[in-house]
Amino acid sequence: MFDAFPYDEWGEDIADFWTFGGHNSTGTWILTVLGFTVMLVAFWGFFILENRKLGHQADRLKASGALDRPSTTTGHGA
Amino acid sequence: MISSLIPTWLAQSPTIEELESKVALDSQILTETFYFWTVVIMWLIHVGFMAYEAGAARRKNIMSTAMKNILTIAVVTPTFYYFGWYIYGCFQEGWPKSGHASPDAFEGFCGATAPWSAAMGPNLQDHVSAVFFLAFLLFSWTTGSIMSGALIERVRLSAYLVLTAVLGSVVWIMDAAWGWSSGGWLTTRYGFHDAIASLVVHGVAGAFAFGVLLNLGPRIGKYTTDGLARTFRGHNTHLTLMGLMLIFTGFYGFYAACLVIQSTIFPGWLNIYGSPTTLGAIAFVITIGFAGGFTGGWFASKGDPFWTLSGGLAGVVAVSAGADVYHPSLAYLLSISGGMLAVWAGGFIEKKLRVDDAVGAVAVHGVCGFYGVLLVGIFAGGYPTGINNVPTSFGGQLMGMMAFLPLAFLPGYAISWILKKMNLLRVPAEVELEGLDLAEFGQDFYPEFERVPEIIIEPDGREVASAPVLLDAYWQTNGTPKTPVGVGERS
Repeated sequence: MFDAFPYDEWGEDIADFWTFGGHNSTGTWILTVLGFTVMLVAFWGFFILENRKLGHQADRLKASGALDRPSTTTGHGA
Repeated sequence: MISSLIPTWLAQSPTIEELESKVALDSQILTETFYFWTVVIMWLIHVGFMAYEAGAARRKNIMSTAMKNILTIAVVTPTFYYFGWYIYGCFQEGWPKSGHASPDAFEGFCGATAPWSAAMGPNLQDHVSAVFFLAFLLFSWTTGSIMSGALIERVRLSAYLVLTAVLGSVVWIMDAAWGWSSGGWLTTRYGFHDAIASLVVHGVAGAFAFGVLLNLGPRIGKYTTDGLARTFRGHNTHLTLMGLMLIFTGFYGFYAACLVIQSTIFPGWLNIYGSPTTLGAIAFVITIGFAGGFTGGWFASKGDPFWTLSGGLAGVVAVSAGADVYHPSLAYLLSISGGMLAVWAGGFIEKKLRVDDAVGAVAVHGVCGFYGVLLVGIFAGGYPTGINNVPTSFGGQLMGMMAFLPLAFLPGYAISWILKKMNLLRVPAEVELEGLDLAEFGQDFYPEFERVPEIIIEPDGREVASAPVLLDAYWQTNGTPKTPVGVGERS
């Protein structure tokens, strides 16, 4: 018999915890909280990552002078 | 010989109870299969929205536009699972809770919608809850996608994701609980009738988007200093039109998923309120609604391709609320009016209100969504609705409109206002001018095609190179464009 799981004696408990069973099980509650937390972290990550990219690009464009208003004095009489 | 076999046949023939059990299981599996395929077809709505909006965007904003549609799925799915579905199940009585107005309301539904419920997974005793959840989830994605097109080319992706999660997993599903469920207080008390979601999906998404647009402001260069509207040319109108056609295809799944299938009970189909109808009637109205909407859009826009197709969508939105009861000829006439109304409302919002809705979403979905439920009050007044058989009425429809307008508009306005104050709503003006794709993804997404100068259409119809116009607008507003509220108000 090939043992697919190396901790065979714990297999049933682990499956009970992680897989879908009746509601109100400890595993269901813990997974729900974990999933909800990861979802919130993902939202925070979307903001942080994008803010960093946009800020970097805006700074680069400002520094390049490409969007600067041309001087209104064109050199006449200078 | 034969007579000797009869006792054997009798012994093998199923009992009435066994046959009832088999029919019940077959019915459940038919229901499960039906909703599964509506979900598959409804994916096309999102394929369509992505193509539609990406085509309407300028070349420099293609992927940032498409990514909004893709990540809508990434954020609305978990939020809807963790609290959106629970709102639908548990807030049908209104808030604060006052008890169901009907003893026939589905009392146990609330508990089945919690994310830890036994109904939310591979439960061999329940073939229906999971696919029903999925159908509603796809409606939620749709509300987000309706809003996303209006905001393109200047909203931050992260801000959009928060807004779409609130719209898709709180706002629209709250209004669905109130007015688009068998136990919803608006229906059981006032006979509110919006069978295929004119208002509860389209109208609410449009009103929410309008609130966001007021804080977001127009794209740089959209308006002249005199407040006249310029037109940005999308990079691929063919893609936009194909996207709209895909949305239309997906709408057949949307419409089918709005019904409740009960294959063992006459007539086999119910609308969301538990009132009898047929799938054929619904399909009939949506098809003739497209026909009328295209016609109205074509004539009102004098043959503009974008508005002709948008008119088709508006026509369907206008007749959706009464799709279970309308005569086909009435649906045709009303959808023509819906297609025309969308064109006129779109022009009014852009040119008079000076709100830059990039794809006309507020006009098509918002205005026509509210228009659709108003029409039911006029043309289907007296028709019994829901498990209490309360007659549909003009007053009941107005009650729903008055409840949903603030429910949709205020959160959209308030959350976008907070994001604006935190400087997290809009991309920096410099990034907007250069294009969001370079900042977000570091590349141009048509690398093998030469970059030609971007064109903008002036209010008098002249096509001019956009760079000087946009730069001038950037300098004049110091990179912080405001919504122009009146001619001459901007210096």
